[in-house]
Amino acid sequence: MHIPDAFIPMGQALAYWVIALIFIVLALRWARNSMGEEKVPLVAVLAAGIFAMQAFNIPVPWGTTGHLLGAALAAIVLGSPYAGIFVLTLVLLVQGIIFGDGGITVMGANIINMGVVGGFIGYYGYTALNGVMNNAYIAAFIAAWASVFVSALLCAVELAIAGTFPLVLGLVSMGMYHAVIGLIEGGITAVALYLIAAARPDILERPAGVAA
Amino acid sequence: MEKKQFIMIGIAIALVISVAAPFITSENPDGLESAFFSIYGAKDFRGSELDEEAAEAAEAKAVAITGNDFSFDAPLPDYGIEGLDKPGEVLAVVIGTILTVGLAYGAARVTARPDN
Repeated sequence: MHIPDAFIPMGQALAYWVIALIFIVLALRWARNSMGEEKVPLVAVLAAGIFAMQAFNIPVPWGTTGHLLGAALAAIVLGSPYAGIFVLTLVLLVQGIIFGDGGITVMGANIINMGVVGGFIGYYGYTALNGVMNNAYIAAFIAAWASVFVSALLCAVELAIAGTFPLVLGLVSMGMYHAVIGLIEGGITAVALYLIAAARPDILERPAGVAA
Repeated sequence: MEKKQFIMIGIAIALVISVAAPFITSENPDGLESAFFSIYGAKDFRGSELDEEAAEAAEAKAVAITGNDFSFDAPLPDYGIEGLDKPGEVLAVVIGTILTVGLAYGAARVTARPDN
């Protein structure tokens, strides 16, 4: 879901950068206040795993592909939506600057869609559902699916404002493709959470709901 | 599992995925590109055929609409290294994964809450 530079006018792209920077500052403040030094290697591993998984495009029906975004996973494992923003911002920086994947002027929009929306929907969706159904993996699956679906709808709105997509057709197209692609996000997030909980149950910020 | 072991296994898994990804990844457009191409008539919404000519025209049209013609030469465009084909792709993704580990470790190290 990496928006390229050509899809959004420069002025709007810069506005998204300003919003993204506000969330990046909040993420840095979260790190300073809540991310203990013992989490540093875990953050590095999560970022590397998410980068590698993003290079793996999984085919889905209708001639399209999807890959893990990973913000929901990072947010769930590290126990804060800001962790998703922190990790995705770093991944998007490497992808944009080194590999030309996702635009530079529009990187703020991509950070908002994948990092901010992914982190917040992923984390709060997970905690809310986990409280209701008491199954961490189903909760993670649904929350991660929803994080991709909502990101896609927001992306469609941004591209409608940009004039690139018509609003309704954009929402329907993005929504339908990502309703399917989100299943990849849900599945990988749930499996990764299970593996992490099995290997190191103590590493999760909210271990209560996860029975390994 | 020891913490150190957990981290090493995590990095090893990321590297294995990096090496495998270029061989198993799909070349089809992603969800956003598919939406873009189908809206601009280069692809049927549910079809897998991409009309390359119409796709290029669509990209030019997007630039015309937004006026954003920013471009820059990424050092390893499209996760590949010129002239190296598949091995170049493997190398590119591995380099990216190592860069991401280093950058994330550094950024987290600098910004983390001091424990004492």
